[in-house]
Amino acid sequence: MPKKVMKSVFSRLWIYLAVLGPGLITASADNDAPGIATYSMAGSTYGYSFLWLLLVITIGEVVVQSTAARMGAVTGKGTADLIRERFGVKITFFAMLCLLAANLGTTIAQFAGIAAGAELLGINRFIAVPIAAALISFTVLQGSYRYVEKMLLILCLSALSYVISAFVINPPWGEILQNTFTPTFQSDPNYILAVLATIGTTITPWGIFYMQASVVDKGVDAKDFHLTRIDVVSGAVWGNVISAFIVITTAATLFIYGITVDSAEEAAQALLPIAGEGAKYLFSAGLLGASLLAASVLPLSTTYAVCEAFGWERGLNQRRSDAPIFFGLYAVMIAISVIVVLIPGIPLFSIMVLSQSLNAILLPVLLVLVIKLANDKRLMGEWVNGKLQNIFTIALTGLISLVTVALLFFSV
Amino acid sequence: MLYVSQLEGQRVWDSWGNIIGRCKDVLTNYVEKPFPHLLALVLKDGDREDRFIPAHQITSLFPSIILNVPKEQIKPYQPTGQELWLADQMLDHQIVDIEGRRVVRVNDVQLAHVQEKYRLTGVDVSGRGLLRRLGVEPIADKFGKFINHPLSKTVIPWQDIAYLQEGDPIQLGISREKISKLPPVDIATILNGLNRNTGQAILAEMDNETLADTLEESPSSTQIAILSHLDSERAADILEEMDPDEAADLLADLPDETTYKLLELMEDEEAEEMRSLLDFPDNSAGGIMTTEFAWIPPDLTSREALSFLRSSKDALEDEQMYYIYVIDDDWKLHGVITLRDLVMAAPDSKLDEILDPDPISVSPLTSQEDVAYLVAKYDLLAVPVIDTDRDEMLGVVTVDDAVDAVLPTAWKKRLPRFF
Repeated sequence: MPKKVMKSVFSRLWIYLAVLGPGLITASADNDAPGIATYSMAGSTYGYSFLWLLLVITIGEVVVQSTAARMGAVTGKGTADLIRERFGVKITFFAMLCLLAANLGTTIAQFAGIAAGAELLGINRFIAVPIAAALISFTVLQGSYRYVEKMLLILCLSALSYVISAFVINPPWGEILQNTFTPTFQSDPNYILAVLATIGTTITPWGIFYMQASVVDKGVDAKDFHLTRIDVVSGAVWGNVISAFIVITTAATLFIYGITVDSAEEAAQALLPIAGEGAKYLFSAGLLGASLLAASVLPLSTTYAVCEAFGWERGLNQRRSDAPIFFGLYAVMIAISVIVVLIPGIPLFSIMVLSQSLNAILLPVLLVLVIKLANDKRLMGEWVNGKLQNIFTIALTGLISLVTVALLFFSV
Repeated sequence: MLYVSQLEGQRVWDSWGNIIGRCKDVLTNYVEKPFPHLLALVLKDGDREDRFIPAHQITSLFPSIILNVPKEQIKPYQPTGQELWLADQMLDHQIVDIEGRRVVRVNDVQLAHVQEKYRLTGVDVSGRGLLRRLGVEPIADKFGKFINHPLSKTVIPWQDIAYLQEGDPIQLGISREKISKLPPVDIATILNGLNRNTGQAILAEMDNETLADTLEESPSSTQIAILSHLDSERAADILEEMDPDEAADLLADLPDETTYKLLELMEDEEAEEMRSLLDFPDNSAGGIMTTEFAWIPPDLTSREALSFLRSSKDALEDEQMYYIYVIDDDWKLHGVITLRDLVMAAPDSKLDEILDPDPISVSPLTSQEDVAYLVAKYDLLAVPVIDTDRDEMLGVVTVDDAVDAVLPTAWKKRLPRFF
């Protein structure tokens, strides 16, 4: 009965594929434009010394994302929904303000990425950014986003060129390994900002909301949860390996020559060893793909979460007049992003990196709420956080808060 | 008017004027119509265990909560499990607004002194409720008047609310009754807006027919989510109740293993129909056609045709019946007659004279877009699908299924709930 066996293999695969996905998407979004900018800046400025941080972040991302996924699977509710029901209006209001600030910052950064990517191709940002904004709004509001997503994900694969690049350059692997497992720290405000940006671009407030919403949406329940965990772990490892290679490549090509990246042109030079003249096109493709993808998902998931928390009509199948806040907030986020990026002389690269530092600074607010929710017996039943998960999440929250305090301390 | 948010955390005084704790929650019953009355207050006093103060020992709730007995004479209310905890179970939770046919979030709960008792009268879902909870209602109110846009008061009366507490059969029963009466498309929207567990709890209480109608109106992701949480027997029963074309679409979206299992569980006749529909691609005429259509044999008079239809099982199952198809024993299509012409024709007139012997038809592999084009071009309400090789009529594509292909809403329907 070979045919029957094949069938069951395929249907098993189907189940896996149906559950897989959100982890991979959020992880790919680690390497969005602000992500690439942050890693390039970190690698070119501080060499291999950031690699240990990536190891810590990978573990942190797995713990945080799988907690979010578990909350979705057990409760069948979104993050905003849980926060509102458990903590009431005041805390929800504060949490949503933080989410909004973090996501608006990141959306602006995505448009900065679009502007930078377009300018590498020789297209003026005053033309590229408004067109991109119109295209994104159109596809998303038409509901055809799903069909564009695949194409954009393929563009994101250009981040793989960093991996190839690293092997072509053949950097000092011994030194790299050593740096991966030896933590180092500097008390320089710029260094601390870079640390925060690296954390903030990987473990994000929106990642938590997106993960939980996708799990709920796919109807994963607690007993299928082990599949989701595979998705989360493989996604996080994959995303961070790519991130590490961006750091390695920029360190090996730019850091050793003392070139500190603060523009897309300079960052693109890291790909010179494999692409030569084509480096800037390759870099631009990665930047544009990732930015367009994230700029489509982010404002939508933000406005969805906010409307969910306050019980306003939401969803793309609503008419505009029935869901004014849902569509209004979306439009405002896109409009602000476009305007900020078009301010003459605004440094695109700094926007991308600083927005990610802001993400990290706001993250503890949400992490505290997540810890409380994930330990609520009434909500999670037998699926409450284990000791290890609590220790990791609390340590992560503490680490970020500490680094933030250090930033304030050393900046003064 | 009095709101639960104004009671929460308020000091509670006994008849001697001593503060004996703070109000933590307000309990009412929920079956009483139209307005459930207050049963008790939950009192919190430092680290001590919660105390329940019965309604009859409370003198007033507003502006201060005052009891009519001294602390020592409180006869604690014994919870029976039939109470509604307004702060814990209502505030911030989702409810269904039956009048508005939508899922809303409770910003505040309104109480009023009606017929000698404090009663739960309605639920505030407005921005004003949110502002009150944030503690800025008075300021916002002044500002609203100043800019000539006074804040609106939207309180939904309690009768128009379906409250959904998971794991409470009585409450769910009441809510399900209210929700089941809505049109299927509204039920689908509501289920889509509810969180998963509550949605499923409602589903479990619905009858198969309502559920089948609701599934037909749901986007495919919701359909799958709904089906996957029903046991297979019930899922198969519900699929039988659905329009064959909709049911086949749904089956096509499921993993093969599940599809086979469900087909096994369905009645033979229905399962056979499903299999034939599943053979065609989703976006072809064969994939969107329904096999339930009204037909009559050739050579009848109008009177005979009408009486044939009245006793025909296929006609009974044809939900639209815009056209009647004249078919012989080999399923060859002889012509089409509109229901209107059939009804208006003189009882003894031969139908051969009024039927259209050569109607527009499509093959099962005609694309959905082409079908939509033909339907629009010739102003049709349904198109027969004919297997040209064997000259057999297989089914009909109705206008609603044909135009799904070209309307943008059809794309949206396939998007996951998250967006």
